Amino acid sequence: MSPLDITLRDPETPRSTLGRPPDYLHEAHTLRSWFFTTDHKRIALLYLATITAFFVVGAIAAGLVRLSLIVPNGQIFTSDTYNKLFTVHGVVMVWFFLIPSIPATFGNFLIPLMIGAKDLAFPRLNLLSWYVFIGGGLFTVADLVIGGVDTGWTFYAPLSTTFSNTYVVPALIGVIIVGFSSILTGLNFVVTIHTMRAPGMTWFRMPIFVWTHYAVSLIFLLGTPVITITLILLVMERSFGIGVFDPRLGGDPVLFEHLFWFYSHPAVYIMVLPGMGVISEIVPAFAQKRLFGYRFVAYASLALASITFFVWGHHMFVNGESNLAALVFSLLSFAVAVPSAVKVYNWTATMYKGSIRLQTPMLYAMGYIGLFVLGGLTGLFLATLSINEHTHGTYFVVAHFHYIMVGGTMLAFLGGLHFWWPKFTGKMYPEAWGRVSAIFIFIGFNVTFFPQFLLGYLGMPRRYHDYPPEFQLLNIVSSAGATILAAGYIFPMIYLIWSLWFGRQAPSNPWQAKGLEWTTTSPPPTHNFETPPTVDFAPYDYPLRTPADV
Amino acid sequence: MSDVTFPVGIDVHEQFANADQQRHAAQLGMWIWLVTELLLFAGLFMVALVLHIMHPGSVRAAVLHFKFWIGAANTAVLICSSFTMSGAIMLSRMGWQRWMVRCMLATAALGSLFLLLKGYEYYLDYAEHMMPFVGQPYALEGDPASRLFTNLYFVTTALHGAHLTTGVAILLWMAWQAHRPGFLQARQNRIEVYGLYWHFIDLIWIIVFPLLYVVGR
Amino acid sequence: MSTQLSIAHDPAARHALWQRMRVPAFAFVALMLFLAAIVGLGALAPSRTASFIEIGLVACMILTVLLFSMEVRLETPLMRFFALIGFAWVGILFGMVLLDYLSR
Ligand SMILES: [Cu+2]
Repeated sequence: MSPLDITLRDPETPRSTLGRPPDYLHEAHTLRSWFFTTDHKRIALLYLATITAFFVVGAIAAGLVRLSLIVPNGQIFTSDTYNKLFTVHGVVMVWFFLIPSIPATFGNFLIPLMIGAKDLAFPRLNLLSWYVFIGGGLFTVADLVIGGVDTGWTFYAPLSTTFSNTYVVPALIGVIIVGFSSILTGLNFVVTIHTMRAPGMTWFRMPIFVWTHYAVSLIFLLGTPVITITLILLVMERSFGIGVFDPRLGGDPVLFEHLFWFYSHPAVYIMVLPGMGVISEIVPAFAQKRLFGYRFVAYASLALASITFFVWGHHMFVNGESNLAALVFSLLSFAVAVPSAVKVYNWTATMYKGSIRLQTPMLYAMGYIGLFVLGGLTGLFLATLSINEHTHGTYFVVAHFHYIMVGGTMLAFLGGLHFWWPKFTGKMYPEAWGRVSAIFIFIGFNVTFFPQFLLGYLGMPRRYHDYPPEFQLLNIVSSAGATILAAGYIFPMIYLIWSLWFGRQAPSNPWQAKGLEWTTTSPPPTHNFETPPTVDFAPYDYPLRTPADV
Repeated sequence: MSDVTFPVGIDVHEQFANADQQRHAAQLGMWIWLVTELLLFAGLFMVALVLHIMHPGSVRAAVLHFKFWIGAANTAVLICSSFTMSGAIMLSRMGWQRWMVRCMLATAALGSLFLLLKGYEYYLDYAEHMMPFVGQPYALEGDPASRLFTNLYFVTTALHGAHLTTGVAILLWMAWQAHRPGFLQARQNRIEVYGLYWHFIDLIWIIVFPLLYVVGR
Repeated sequence: MSTQLSIAHDPAARHALWQRMRVPAFAFVALMLFLAAIVGLGALAPSRTASFIEIGLVACMILTVLLFSMEVRLETPLMRFFALIGFAWVGILFGMVLLDYLSR
């Protein structure tokens, strides 16, 4: 099969013309063909549109939180409004953006392409999971925006069960529903990766992106049911007063935290692992070098997915767990650093003496590596019992997890979006604007969140809307950074949509990258490959470089 | 006559390369779903265990009020239903579709019997003031931890009951599909996959019964 | 050619069916015996020691259902892995939570 090289054609050719290879986007144009599709590629785009909308809601709430924190005495919003704003931000960003972000969009689109399958194993289940997601998500977002909830994204008892006077139960119900969408997506991925690989696609020929999605699916499957039942118990507690998290009735609020973090610490890896997969694709492509230590990176993904279930107690050092438990959880938390560091070393070693091209995806990838290192190292501070005592519940924690979730996941998401945009849409994005937005985001992010490390270390607690006046300067710097960051988010939303109509036609493989997804046309045909592929090559088979080449 | 089986098989969906791949995928998918079901119930088992540790006396008081013999009888009913379900699976493999439908109906009947007994048990609980969340005075007033364990008993058995009700509904629906000839030539693996689900509901109850009714007496 | 219903009167067919039903029948009997033991212990000799024995018996029942009713013993290693991993993760949950509660 020779993929038709579209760049060779006359650029002035009208868009819908004869000779265009058939593709999934132009197969049908009706609304019905989108909302009742079972094509994993179209479902991925449905997810992309949905999570972008949720991201905008969460980002507006974040902007208002930063606005409020410009002044120390909380004059801009009442404390109730402020509490509702950070809850909108937290709930929407964590549950409806970060957790589904990369798996549900890129994972959905790319896993069948990367392993050479026609679709996921259960296409109708895949569509169902999108409906479940958007149903639960819209329900909760409507509740948060119209009614308001003030518990934060963690729904800690007894605030959520006894003391909050806001609409907690509907918010919980939506989050519970969305959990099923995670479970169904994870189930689909695991079954697909196990059973649908093309002839010759052995486990150690799979791209790391597929490995990390396998690992993340395991977390979806093993963690999500526990948060589901925990939140169901929370609903029961608040609605019927069953007492399970109420010490007056024989229950224990610490038990809620155990059950909550059993899922919610691994949820960090739900957010981070897919991003690691994205970076592991971008770095070799833009260094034109084989991924260094492929097997180590693959195994490190599985190691992260399992170790992450042993460390949740580091969220509870000062919340009443026993000293012995705190000690053990602290020790195990340090262990997480090992596989994380393996990955960072491998990406760096991959770049070493590569022929690096600094295009937009690579800028994001390099930003990711730097920010992930900073976020990861401050995680070690927080896992240390004595330092945690000092920083628990402060902006230090806020800065730490934003370095992981925004510096990590969000940068990987944007990097991947630019990297695969030609494959998704068949159009190239404008490179110059891409670089500008990447630089804006990197600078804006650091200006926003680095001051928060300082604020936290100085003792500013999170989730309060007034603070002593001596913290004002750093808060203003942080809010100023947020405006730069916002600009960096708005640029891609504009130019990516612009490129759908006015972008240059994308060739099959604009980056000279390796992997099955680049061997088919851009955008791919409905069944992904004109002829079913057979795999007889290693992953990342970029040309081997001898010392003379470099 | 020597040939005692009839041909069975499945229609292959377009995303799969062949029937084996599809059968394998469906089987794996159900196992993975059951893993998530186990962890869903595990949260409740965890709470029960913590209560057993924190308040053994109160738990004992509540357990002595639960209907031990109905729980035991219901366990036996579900074990019987597992046996008839195994029968349906074996018959489906042999292609004896009519007999398979009979086994499925027997399984559904046993599942319904379980639900009936469960309903009667709830009625007795209500009559003995062991249903603290409905607003009537509670039989063990002054022992809040026992009330909590009783509430947990209702959450757990209701969640299991919901799974069983779903199971019976799916069973009846499939039995209805299979009353026409040709079912086993096109969809035999549905019976296999569904059988795993039914056995697993049984397995969950096998854990629930001792944990709520027996241990700590 | 026998019809679908009358085949059950064919001795060869009945023998073939019994061949297949032997394992489920064994599982049925074993489960009933385990249940009887649990019920007997709980009704006649409830005690702390009895509780631990009961938990052991439950583990036997779980294994019986998994290995024989759900045919894990005949499955591929992959299916066995997924049959086990759920229980392993329940072990993590219980183990780490009890680590806290038993050392308070
Ligand atoms: Cu954590």
